[in-house]
Amino acid sequence: MKNRLRVLRAERDWSQADLAERLEVSRQSVNAIETGKFDPSLPLAFKLARLFETTIEAIFSDEN
Amino acid sequence: MLCSIKSPTERRYVIRMWIMAALCVLFSLVAAVVFRLSHPHGILAYLVGVLPALPITGALIYTGVYLAEEKDEFQRNLLVQSLLGGTGGILAVTTAWGYMEDFAHAPHLDLVWVYPLFWLFAGISYGFVRARYR
Repeated sequence: MKNRLRVLRAERDWSQADLAERLEVSRQSVNAIETGKFDPSLPLAFKLARLFETTIEAIFSDEN
Repeated sequence: MLCSIKSPTERRYVIRMWIMAALCVLFSLVAAVVFRLSHPHGILAYLVGVLPALPITGALIYTGVYLAEEKDEFQRNLLVQSLLGGTGGILAVTTAWGYMEDFAHAPHLDLVWVYPLFWLFAGISYGFVRARYR
């Protein structure tokens, strides 16, 4: 699944570690989600959307 | 080693596993000494004989507790995939070895090796799973 996490993170000048801390997950988790290798659960996707003050659809897309 | 672990849940799990490993060694020594010195029979022999398996059971329970406590779903996913790899590996090897014992008279594989071999396969599996997410 494609996502805009890297862009959203860069806009806020956050490192992967910064985002991981805010999400209360490991940096490896953020990296795996960001690179599209791991799809987050719905609760984590909502948490990301709340953190970036946007919608899940604005972060993730199911296009290949 | 513990300093490199950031998650309190993971740290707690590692500490619990080390305690269980230490208890396993201790109970194995106790069982060996008891059998050497007093040659217990009947139910007492079974009770002393099962001692080293108690911390092993504890370690498996704590692994389940870790999976229930770990909030990081990615880390949980890594461990679950590794455990599946370990389970598949040990099932495949012990089944294959059983057939080799039956048909080819291969040397007998003592069942006490199942648990360490399970973690060996789980560890190898963990390496492959981690590599996939790099």
